[in-house]
Amino acid sequence: MSAINTKGNSWLESTGVLLRFCGRIMGEVYSLKVFKYFGESLRQAGILILSSTIVIWSLIFIIGLQCGIEGAYFNRSVGSPAYAGVFAAWCDLRELVPYSFGYMMSAKVGTGIVAELGSMRISDEIDALEVMGVPSMTFLCSTKLLAAWMVLPFVYLSGVGAGFLASYLAVVQQIGEVSSGGYQLIFWMFQNPPDLLYSVIKGMCMATAIVLVGCYYGYNASGGPVGVGTATAKSMVLNIVLVHVIGMLGTQLFWGANPRAPIGG
Amino acid sequence: METDKSTDEFEWHTGKTTAVENAAIEFIGVKKAFGRNQVLNGLDMALPEGQISMILGPSGTGKSVCIKHMVGLLYPDDGDVLVHGQSVQSMPDDDLFEMRKKFGVLFQDGALFGSMNLYDNVAFPLRQHTDKGEDEIAHIVNQRLDEVGLGDANDKMPNELSGGMRKRAGFARALVLDPDIVLFDEPDSGLDPVRTALLCELIQEIHAENGGAYVVITHDIASARRVAEYIAVLWRGQIVESGAATDLFESSNPFVRQFLSGESQGPLGME
Repeated sequence: MSAINTKGNSWLESTGVLLRFCGRIMGEVYSLKVFKYFGESLRQAGILILSSTIVIWSLIFIIGLQCGIEGAYFNRSVGSPAYAGVFAAWCDLRELVPYSFGYMMSAKVGTGIVAELGSMRISDEIDALEVMGVPSMTFLCSTKLLAAWMVLPFVYLSGVGAGFLASYLAVVQQIGEVSSGGYQLIFWMFQNPPDLLYSVIKGMCMATAIVLVGCYYGYNASGGPVGVGTATAKSMVLNIVLVHVIGMLGTQLFWGANPRAPIGG
Repeated sequence: METDKSTDEFEWHTGKTTAVENAAIEFIGVKKAFGRNQVLNGLDMALPEGQISMILGPSGTGKSVCIKHMVGLLYPDDGDVLVHGQSVQSMPDDDLFEMRKKFGVLFQDGALFGSMNLYDNVAFPLRQHTDKGEDEIAHIVNQRLDEVGLGDANDKMPNELSGGMRKRAGFARALVLDPDIVLFDEPDSGLDPVRTALLCELIQEIHAENGGAYVVITHDIASARRVAEYIAVLWRGQIVESGAATDLFESSNPFVRQFLSGESQGPLGME
């Protein structure tokens, strides 16, 4: 195996190389090879929990407040303030929680991975791993993906809770045009457990893409510190695009043909 | 500064060599190009077992590329690299990783893991490749760190160390699995003359103690005079001459003579 020359030249070739790289990392997780370095996965999981959860929850909480405020005023404007929970339920669970989770994952986790792996690449640390007989892609990339899959579903579910709480506070406590019971009746009527599952799937697809893109750009960084900076910026651009593509596809797939809501009898 | 202009760029490459009976590493007609830059140009070279060999040559002649070929980080475009008679490029991944355990490599800046302290850096190969308990690992790591004079620095992070200390720490890590072959990529770069001399002495002492094939890449002639037992002079991707250090230092080849004496006049110019 060679860690060198994995970058394609043309746009199409680069995409192929990126997909092959991602396939290989995921293959090492599915084939359980990564469990040889399970300790490193646990370490990465710990880093993820300690360094990223608070900031992800905070962003989702703020977005939840916005959803609540917008929903309350919109429903007041159409003469149905008691239905503010509809807006909050859909806005939080289906769209803005996954997006804000994806944005913060891209900004915090994705760029962090590129910076970490890129600096290891340019300081020969990845080559050092290889010559010690440690497969660097497994040790550095597959372990991060496994850690993300172990930790992020729980971070995401907690984030959904933070968003729900924030919307409740905005609609019921701040705007105050609907009672707590009235808000919750409508809020829970317009969502059910499969919606939560679909939302988690959207978020996890985003997280997987972000970790893989971060690993690709970091692992293949070249050109010294400037090259690492450039790779970080490129990864951020690609991740933001992917977050929106996954968000759009997820919405189309899960709710595009069926709103899954008690509307129109 | 005068240089002897030559119409044939390989005019001084006589290829004169002492036959190596027991080679640890062999390059057979190795060619390697990066884009249009042909770095190795049909390189034939054998490095003996049990000796300290030096690959000498001007900057940019492919010395570090040679090291990457030895450990399978790069593969030749043409030709073959053999380690203990086994072709590196034809090894499956699992065999390659197994073969790499024969090697200890000291990179130019030590290549210590920035997220680990010195102790964990040196312990890393032991934790990955052996079943030793923490007590035994601690004994080995402390012994290696003592050998390189870093016994009191084991809780320091790499960014707290000077360049020389990082190299010595990298040396300790390279030795920790008792490798058969140790590669040094410009161990003298960025070091003052005294620390270079001390590092050379350390290399000699540890080689005398452990044996094996040591390969040092450098363009520092003083280091070569101190430690080399076998020398290969590389230029333009081919060996100019190679053989026992004592023979090379007496060579009549104008390029070898100029390079090993550090003269400004001769075949090697600024180009």
